[in-house]
Amino acid sequence: MSTKSLTYEEAIQQVELLIAQIENNEISMDDLAEKIRLASEYLRFCKEKLHKVNEEIEKVLKETEEL
Amino acid sequence: MERDSRKLSELSELIKSCLENNLEQSYWIVAELMDVRVNANGHCYLELVEKDEKSDRLVAKASGVIWAQRFRMLKILFEEETGQSFASGMKVLLNVSVNFHALYGFSLVIQDLDPSFTLGEIVRKRNEIVRQLKEDGIFELNKELTMPRLPQRIAVISSETAAGYGDFCTHLREDKGGFAYYIKLFPAIMQGAQTESSVIEALNKIYARIHSFDVVVIIRGGGATSDLSWFDSYDLCANCAQFPLPIISGIGHERDESVLDMVANQRVKTPTAAAEFLLQRLYVEDEKIKELRDTLIFLANEQRQREKDRLDHCSNRLPQLARMVTESGMNSQKIWIKQLGTATKLYLMKEMHRCDLKQEQLKWLSPERLLKRGYTLTLMDGKIITSPERVHSGDRITTRFSTGEINSIIE
Repeated sequence: MSTKSLTYEEAIQQVELLIAQIENNEISMDDLAEKIRLASEYLRFCKEKLHKVNEEIEKVLKETEEL
Repeated sequence: MERDSRKLSELSELIKSCLENNLEQSYWIVAELMDVRVNANGHCYLELVEKDEKSDRLVAKASGVIWAQRFRMLKILFEEETGQSFASGMKVLLNVSVNFHALYGFSLVIQDLDPSFTLGEIVRKRNEIVRQLKEDGIFELNKELTMPRLPQRIAVISSETAAGYGDFCTHLREDKGGFAYYIKLFPAIMQGAQTESSVIEALNKIYARIHSFDVVVIIRGGGATSDLSWFDSYDLCANCAQFPLPIISGIGHERDESVLDMVANQRVKTPTAAAEFLLQRLYVEDEKIKELRDTLIFLANEQRQREKDRLDHCSNRLPQLARMVTESGMNSQKIWIKQLGTATKLYLMKEMHRCDLKQEQLKWLSPERLLKRGYTLTLMDGKIITSPERVHSGDRITTRFSTGEINSIIE
């Protein structure tokens, strides 16, 4: 999974989708571990977006000083 | 020729008495304040003007003064009632008495003012702007924008030195949620006649980097008397209403709201409240992530438990089934063995009986028995001779009786 171009909104939606699938027994025991790993990854992405300062954004804002 | 002349002071005196005789003690007039200034003694000097409604050109102008003692009182009354500072641009209803001084000329001495008129004026002006914004179809535009779920990249329009900006940053910084956020200040003048152009300029700067931001916060410091009238500007509000990022206004006043507050996506009262609003959004998402994680764990465990139950059921069932199968197998084997036994016994008994019979028959057929009854056996060279043709004269034969043998030679 590539989280590079993913938005927070999309990531949350993916998690919600996976949860709905598990809830509706659409995921077999074989796939469960994989799906949960995927959902955790999306969640980690969301959490990082919320809590981790992004150097890239800091940089972009610094550049704005020049305006 | 000597003209009938008089001194300037005499003319001044004449004007003065003329005015005093013909004018009333005081008049209530409507005028706009201009060039309001207070000198070291606390006296307030200003210009009162009237503008043409359409062209905005001055049609009347007079100098005015409010003596220090009265000014102190009127200023407080006015600012408390209207929430506006007593400054240029205000439309006011004043009680004035006409004064003419030989040295300083004509002026109006302000005795009293009616703040409710100004308040009404502000409301009227505000309503007019709102009506125009609605007519232009832009009043709701900023409100219709969706506030992003993570408003972390914040463009702030504020005066750099304002306490409000400090409050805003402090509130975000001291929060314990540990959220990432990015603040960029776009300095602007937040009161006075330059407010409009200054804020619009800041908006334009943000617009140039629109993709770097999630939200715009317009705040200004507390402390001084809130002077909201500068934000009741059509141009400023039209710019804000049409701005493509949601705007949070925190310029507020406890009592009334400006047009900017009305068009902004969110309005709060103070800069601290603006910071709190943003933090709350992040807390909501944080909570949501936690909830999703918990749901995920719960569901995963639930499914695992379900599978485990299924498995347990099978593994519990298996020995039981096996036992059942074995037991029934053993039973049938026993029965089989039993059945087998019976059959065999029968068979054996039958066989034995048959043997007995044969033996009996054989007993009757045995040569000994015949010999006893008187028959003899004739043998030659140990072999039984059953016909006379087999023997020739001179052959030696043996005749067996039951009790013995005799040998003879054939003639």
